[in-house]
Amino acid sequence: MLNIQNLERRWLKYKIKSYAPYILGVVALLSVFIAVAYSKKSDTQSEPKEAAVSPSSPTPEASSTLLEPSMDFIRSFQTTVPSNEPPKATLQKNTQPVREPLPIPKLVTIPPPDSSDEKSFSLNRNESKLDIDTLERRFKETSNANLGLFIARYHYDHGNYSEAYNFALKTNSISNKLEESWIIFAKSLVKLGKVEQAKKTLQFYITDSNSDAARALLDTIERGTFK
Amino acid sequence: MEHSLFSKPRDLFLDVVDPKDYVHIDSISHIYQSLKSSVQKPLKMILLFGRPGTGKSMLLHKLHHDLSKHQKVFMFDIPIVDEDDFLRVLAERIFTYSSHEVITLTRFLEIAEAASYSDTPIVLLDEAQLYSSSLMEKIRLISDARVIKFVITLHKTDKEEIIAKEHFQTRIWESIELQNATAEELKIYVQKKLLKANCFDVANMFNDKNIKLVASLTKGNFRETNKLLFSLFSLYCWYEENNPALIQYNALKSKWIEMAAIHTGLIHA
Repeated sequence: MLNIQNLERRWLKYKIKSYAPYILGVVALLSVFIAVAYSKKSDTQSEPKEAAVSPSSPTPEASSTLLEPSMDFIRSFQTTVPSNEPPKATLQKNTQPVREPLPIPKLVTIPPPDSSDEKSFSLNRNESKLDIDTLERRFKETSNANLGLFIARYHYDHGNYSEAYNFALKTNSISNKLEESWIIFAKSLVKLGKVEQAKKTLQFYITDSNSDAARALLDTIERGTFK
Repeated sequence: MEHSLFSKPRDLFLDVVDPKDYVHIDSISHIYQSLKSSVQKPLKMILLFGRPGTGKSMLLHKLHHDLSKHQKVFMFDIPIVDEDDFLRVLAERIFTYSSHEVITLTRFLEIAEAASYSDTPIVLLDEAQLYSSSLMEKIRLISDARVIKFVITLHKTDKEEIIAKEHFQTRIWESIELQNATAEELKIYVQKKLLKANCFDVANMFNDKNIKLVASLTKGNFRETNKLLFSLFSLYCWYEENNPALIQYNALKSKWIEMAAIHTGLIHA
């Protein structure tokens, strides 16, 4: 026997528990951010004070310039390159890449796939998909709108837009109250390049049903953001 | 409640092993075909193993259902753990030899020889991990004598793996492992089950997000999935009766899937 109130309470507890690490993380980050911001603020406030007390003392910025690495070694490289010392391998590689003949890439012949493997693969594929032919046959027999919608959605998800269009159309003629079927119908039309027809269909459907989902789809089509 | 949209889908996911409810999906179908062809080969013994809830019992029942039309196949889904009873029941059911006396292994082999069937009878033993070591040894000897061909199922746990190694390592000619389903396979399993029972509107409610959540909660285990969906549709039945405004008919609510998981113990909250 289900105790819904108890389940709702336990679900809430579970949700709070599962979000707790994220909330704690965000709180920790925020507190670090606030602490850093506060310390920066206090530093900027203390700077003029120190300047007033001892103007000759170095500021943190000045001390940082003191720690800058010396770039003298680059000058020493420039002087050593023209000397008689043998150049390093890496340098040679960089300066004379054209002189070395490039190795001719070997042509690798890819063996044709084994026919037995192919066979087993096709078997796999047949098993893993829904028996869509059976479902289509059942749809012909039963004319069930929900089944029609299922098949239309299946075809749309698999990129068979003309089939999705056909089944959505059939579904709409059986029942014109299935919002998703109209949406799939319009989306299939767009995918088939019939954008104007899709817009007209959606406008017609919106006036009839006042559907928010249809309106949102029409907006995306009109803005050209539909994918 | 009886006319609820969700009562039929709920009852579909009752955890009952019935070969008529067998759903063809990718990996299981392949395993079933190889199991079926193995049974036709002159093998002594076939071992079917996997974690609980991966569909071993269902495959065994399906095999029994399909083969019993053409040949002598005997299903023992409830283990006969008493050794004397085991041989007596086997002799009675397979060779129609009834006796109240204790049948020794030698006597059993004599009865089997006397019966002399043209095709070796097939015995399907479910939950074989419940049999004792000495009974397993007898089963091995019977199969070695080629009077009965055994197809046995074992749960894949550390203990049972030891049993399998000790008794059958050299004897089993075919060993088939069943594994949990992937999210894609689980989607096909759920949808095929619903479509088979004409629950088109409920099948339409399952989107990829819902399936991924179910698969992550059940880890692709068929038994756990059945339990979870049974609880889920029980929840839907309750809401349909008490608060129908909360039901969305275009997709399943993640919250209710999680509530069903809490109810079945998949989520500890």
